Amino acid sequence: MLMDALARLSEWIQLILQNKYSRAGFFIILFIVILAIGAPIIAPKHYAEVDLNNRLRPPSLQHLFGTDELGRDVFSRVVYGARIALWVGILVVTIEAAIGVTLGMLAGYYGGKIDKIISAITDMVWAFPPLVLALGVVTLIGPGLVNVVTAVAIVSWPTFTRIVRAKVQSLVNREFVLAARAIGESDLSIMLRYILPNVVPTIIVIATLSIPSAILSTTALSFLGFGAQPPTPDWGAMVSDGMSQLTRAPWISSFPGIFIVITCLGFNLLGDGLRDILDPKLKM
Amino acid sequence: MTEPLLRVVDLKTYYKTSAGLVRAVDGVSFEVYEDETFCVVGESGCGKSTLALSIIRLVPYPGEIVDGKIIYRGIDLLKLPESEMRKIRGKEIAMIFQNPMNSLNPVFTIGFQIAEAPIIHFNMDSKRAWRKAIELIAKVRMSDPDVRARNYPHELSGGMRQRTMIAMMISCGPKLLLADEPTTSVDVTVQAQLLKLLMDIKKERRMSIILITHNFGLVAEVCNRVAVMYAGKIVELGPVREIFRNPMHPYTRGLMKCLPIGTKRKGQLYTIPGQPPNLINPPPGCRFHPRCPYRTEKCRKEDPPLTEVEPSHYVACHLHR
Repeated sequence: MLMDALARLSEWIQLILQNKYSRAGFFIILFIVILAIGAPIIAPKHYAEVDLNNRLRPPSLQHLFGTDELGRDVFSRVVYGARIALWVGILVVTIEAAIGVTLGMLAGYYGGKIDKIISAITDMVWAFPPLVLALGVVTLIGPGLVNVVTAVAIVSWPTFTRIVRAKVQSLVNREFVLAARAIGESDLSIMLRYILPNVVPTIIVIATLSIPSAILSTTALSFLGFGAQPPTPDWGAMVSDGMSQLTRAPWISSFPGIFIVITCLGFNLLGDGLRDILDPKLKM
Repeated sequence: MTEPLLRVVDLKTYYKTSAGLVRAVDGVSFEVYEDETFCVVGESGCGKSTLALSIIRLVPYPGEIVDGKIIYRGIDLLKLPESEMRKIRGKEIAMIFQNPMNSLNPVFTIGFQIAEAPIIHFNMDSKRAWRKAIELIAKVRMSDPDVRARNYPHELSGGMRQRTMIAMMISCGPKLLLADEPTTSVDVTVQAQLLKLLMDIKKERRMSIILITHNFGLVAEVCNRVAVMYAGKIVELGPVREIFRNPMHPYTRGLMKCLPIGTKRKGQLYTIPGQPPNLINPPPGCRFHPRCPYRTEKCRKEDPPLTEVEPSHYVACHLHR
């Protein structure tokens, strides 16, 4: 089983590397992941270390990305920020997927009344501008990174529900599902063992493509001051911190901003590549 | 006569579509005895597949069994709760589908899929079920069962997939097998092999088979009794020899004339004029009358009931009363 999984993983990575865009995406993500994991080694200073003698220093060899108002090393903060960005992105998408896939499966599988109710709820949530709704939720449950993650997840699961529902609907009438019923499988077993495995590729693609918007939403909320509280090196919060010094020390805001862009770009490229790879029409 | 294995009484299965009520199966009655091959023949869209799906209670939405009885070994299947019905499916009654390309789960090996039913119905542990699956793969005459068991469906040909399907469906020793055009989507040589395989298994296990087909040639080869369906109703029913020797319903006669071997005329094959009726709004009276060469005024008004014209030979036609 383990060898099987490893073999399949390496096969996937090879496929990813074959495509120009997904290769770029893959290496960008790999780079960010290495930053996140190796942060204590890569970063020359701790992200919260204040050095009031070296405030607002421009980028130099000593401080690659310069220093901020409190003399903290921006490079170190950006590196540690990768941890938060990845953690937030993955956590948000996991929660979204858990809610969205469950509802999508139920709606697609049972159809009828259950489908109507779930679709109505999905459309309602979908109709709100996500950031405004997330702002509302954060105002209700209070600021903080965990709350922001919850809020973003609560407002953005409908993407999953809609796509999974459509995919399940197309699978439910396939003959192998009928055959599964004909040997006496229960509904739960059919959903988990016959339908879910066939939806997994789709889920992976949506998940990868949802990570950047999750990161963007959380950084936006942090930028507005609802998310990570100081001195947490959240990229959104860092952009916001540097705003007041934008003309004097543009590096404080720019570098975390650039990293937000790079990370999102990486996930988007990877997601697009995965979509091509997992498209059954190309595979068959 | 002995008690039949399956008795279908006045079964009605309708699809509630936005265009109207489609009467796919409209008052069908027949019996299937033990160790018998019963054929249902008819054109596409005459309700044969819906009939099979109704027996195992898997009519897809928006279809619904609106009336009738399906009595299997003295139990009315239509009155069973879904949980009890699930115990019947696979163990007592199983069904083979038309298209083997779509009827296997693409993400699991075929051994795993064959082992599934014994695990559900007999609580077999997975090692024993796996061994059983390998035995079954050998039984449906595939070479190298150990290797095949680890294959995924996309690695197999259409014929092998249909064999897998057969193995899956006989794994729990059902008494009744519904075969919905099991050989339609494979080529002719494979068709013959599959049919022989099915018949050998049937003989060995004393199973009954309801074979659904549009191929009269197939009927002649393997069946004991035949029901000819037209527009949701059975128009003629009887022992296969009797039907071939003396087809009584004009539709059955037409179908026989369509057979390439049966016709003496050179060149063109015979076709029954006209189209099968729309089942949302079927013609009044006898449903075949618009296409029937012998129609009378009575046929337009009155629907002929299925009556026993000769011993165990039933016909629904005003010509034979």
